[in-house]
Amino acid sequence: MAERIVVTSLGILSALGNGIAANLQALQQQRPGLRYPQLLQTIHAGEFLLGEVPYSNDELSAMLGLPTGNNGYTRTTLLAMVAMQEVLKGIDKKELQDEGFAFINANTVGGMCSVEDMYEDFLSDNTAENALKYIDTLDCAESTQNVTKHFGLKPFTATISTACSSSGNAIILGARLIQHGIIKRAICGGCDALSRFTLNGFHSLKNVDKQPARPFDNTRFGLNLGEGAGYVLLETEKSAKERGAEIIAVLSGYANTNDAYHPTAPNPNGDGAYNTMQLALQKAQLQTTDINYINAHGTATTANDAAEGKAIERLFNGHTPHFSSTKPYTGHTLAAAGVIEAIFSIGALQQQMIWPSLNHTTQMEEVSITPTTQLIEDAGINHVLSNSFGFGGNNVSLIFSRA
Amino acid sequence: MIQPVYISAASAISPQHSFGTDAPLQPVMSSDNGKLYVQDADYSQFINPVAIRRMSRMLKIGISTGMDCLRQSGIEKPDGIITGTGRGSMRDMEIFLGDMLRLKEEALNPTYFIQSTYNSINGWLALQTKCTGYNQTYVHRGHSLEMALLDAQLLLNETTDKQHYLVGSFDEMTDEYFGVKSKIGYWKQPTPHSLHLYKHSDTPGSIGGEGSAFFMVTNEKENALFSIAAMQMLQDYTPAEVDATIARILEENKILLRDVDVILCGMSGDSRFDGIYKPLFNNTTVHTTVCAFKHLCGEYDTSTGFAMWLATQAFKTQQVPEAIIQKKGINPSVKTVLIVNHYILNSASVMLLRANS
Repeated sequence: MAERIVVTSLGILSALGNGIAANLQALQQQRPGLRYPQLLQTIHAGEFLLGEVPYSNDELSAMLGLPTGNNGYTRTTLLAMVAMQEVLKGIDKKELQDEGFAFINANTVGGMCSVEDMYEDFLSDNTAENALKYIDTLDCAESTQNVTKHFGLKPFTATISTACSSSGNAIILGARLIQHGIIKRAICGGCDALSRFTLNGFHSLKNVDKQPARPFDNTRFGLNLGEGAGYVLLETEKSAKERGAEIIAVLSGYANTNDAYHPTAPNPNGDGAYNTMQLALQKAQLQTTDINYINAHGTATTANDAAEGKAIERLFNGHTPHFSSTKPYTGHTLAAAGVIEAIFSIGALQQQMIWPSLNHTTQMEEVSITPTTQLIEDAGINHVLSNSFGFGGNNVSLIFSRA
Repeated sequence: MIQPVYISAASAISPQHSFGTDAPLQPVMSSDNGKLYVQDADYSQFINPVAIRRMSRMLKIGISTGMDCLRQSGIEKPDGIITGTGRGSMRDMEIFLGDMLRLKEEALNPTYFIQSTYNSINGWLALQTKCTGYNQTYVHRGHSLEMALLDAQLLLNETTDKQHYLVGSFDEMTDEYFGVKSKIGYWKQPTPHSLHLYKHSDTPGSIGGEGSAFFMVTNEKENALFSIAAMQMLQDYTPAEVDATIARILEENKILLRDVDVILCGMSGDSRFDGIYKPLFNNTTVHTTVCAFKHLCGEYDTSTGFAMWLATQAFKTQQVPEAIIQKKGINPSVKTVLIVNHYILNSASVMLLRANS
């Protein structure tokens, strides 16, 4: 049997703040991080609530000891670096490097947040010197490479982009690379910064809500977008014990599937979500009754919540555990969503708390199950299921268990 | 120990005649404007007629290449689909971004936004094949396709079942992309004729290219064309590291350099990156045929796909086309092929392919 993969360090930056403590405290206090954007320069600023990370690029640069101004780093990369800084705290970088590790990053629009402000300059006949530094930042791997360089690391690197399930996939790949013995440890996660490109993209699809999003609620209309970054350090249980690292949680199961149904909409019966959750349970050798909490994808779009709700109801068949969506706290952070919610799931295990869904008032017509809307403490959680489902039918489920 | 994997089918849409033809690379296509665009194919054979009307060029190219690979392999529904792309659908991204700036964030067409997502071709291939299995997209610059191949290799090593993964790459060049990247030294000045690319290897820059290539990757040895015996990715490498990697791979596979029948070099005519190829010319003996391919496909993130397609042709026909030969060797057959490639953003890769015997 394959060795157990455990989580031994976390790093997170979201609209709820910088660091795991600030994030979990906000969840516990049921304090959402959404606001009308103060940093993103969009004509829709007064219209849409966003999960904007409450630090400017200069403030993020200062946290990293970088020069402020147009320093060549996109906001995407700065968010990633700040979250990475937390993961690496207390880690012997030399040991990490010498024993072999991977950095598996996930991203959906690269440095679009910077490029969209400079694109007309890129196309003009005399592009400003400051803009030239950003020409190679549009692609998704830019953040991956710059993060490793900033911390003086030279890991095996990869970048994944499967829309909203991207960083869930990064976690799966890291675990598999370790199990194959290709590397000893993996830092896995993702980052995405708010951009006008994505805001207008989702708005053009008419699935951004002007109100706070209402996951699994009959009045739901759409999502609130967010930004952030998160990373987890994975290694084998043996490797963690060898270096005396605290084991925060066990990654006990995972699955990746595709809906094969529609370019953007999920299968309305939730077949894809059902299949993914079931395969993750199989991988973990757990029964549905073993799961104590589901951190749902729960975007609050009409289609997702109906499909995911039906899949949960059918799979758990009368024994649906507590479930909630934490997206009303952070907004939908796209490539970072999978890992941010994985970290919230791990936080639920650590603190033995169920994070309540916000803004729920009306039972959904499509299902008879209801999300948990009150904070539950001493929740007796042994296993948490975390879902991430994306455009293109890309589905991921992860299961984290008590150490 | 990770077992090698096998390739049972290959398909490529490229700037050359590579798709649905009995006479690959005939005639050799070239350009004198620094850009090599793919030869269009009849995409309607491969894509749902309703869906195709709204699809961008990149989607049509990528989906058709993937579907043709499936058709060639005789597999209707693969066990999973894995792609690699550095750029995704560049034109869709440019249109949505351009419209957004021009229309001041009002009245935008979501189609371009949806198609610009890097995993959209994967999603379409899954949909068209009803493949609900593993689905993944790597967006890792010059290692995008290599990562997709590695992932397939891991998956095939995680199972005892006979499985087949559709693995491929796609990258698009646009006029806008070419113009923007010209500002940071991507392209050679003055613009060389594509077929004379290597005559100017003393100056920086290359020529722009694009293409898509898909492969059926399996653990089923029977009926396979060749195996990927070894693959290594290098980032921020030195030429010495690439050299050492090649030596190690050959040693681990108990192959002498003289037994390598063909080396496909990804040299791009760019003086900054030529260092890894010089030893291949200098160290090879009369036995090995040393080839180059970027004068035929241009420089792009996933050009390794075009090289692998060329290797597939060489294994199948046991011949190396004159159009790629830089230094002709005397080995009589094509049993062992080495691909050495780099991409402008400081990545390189080495791949050892062996005929299925």
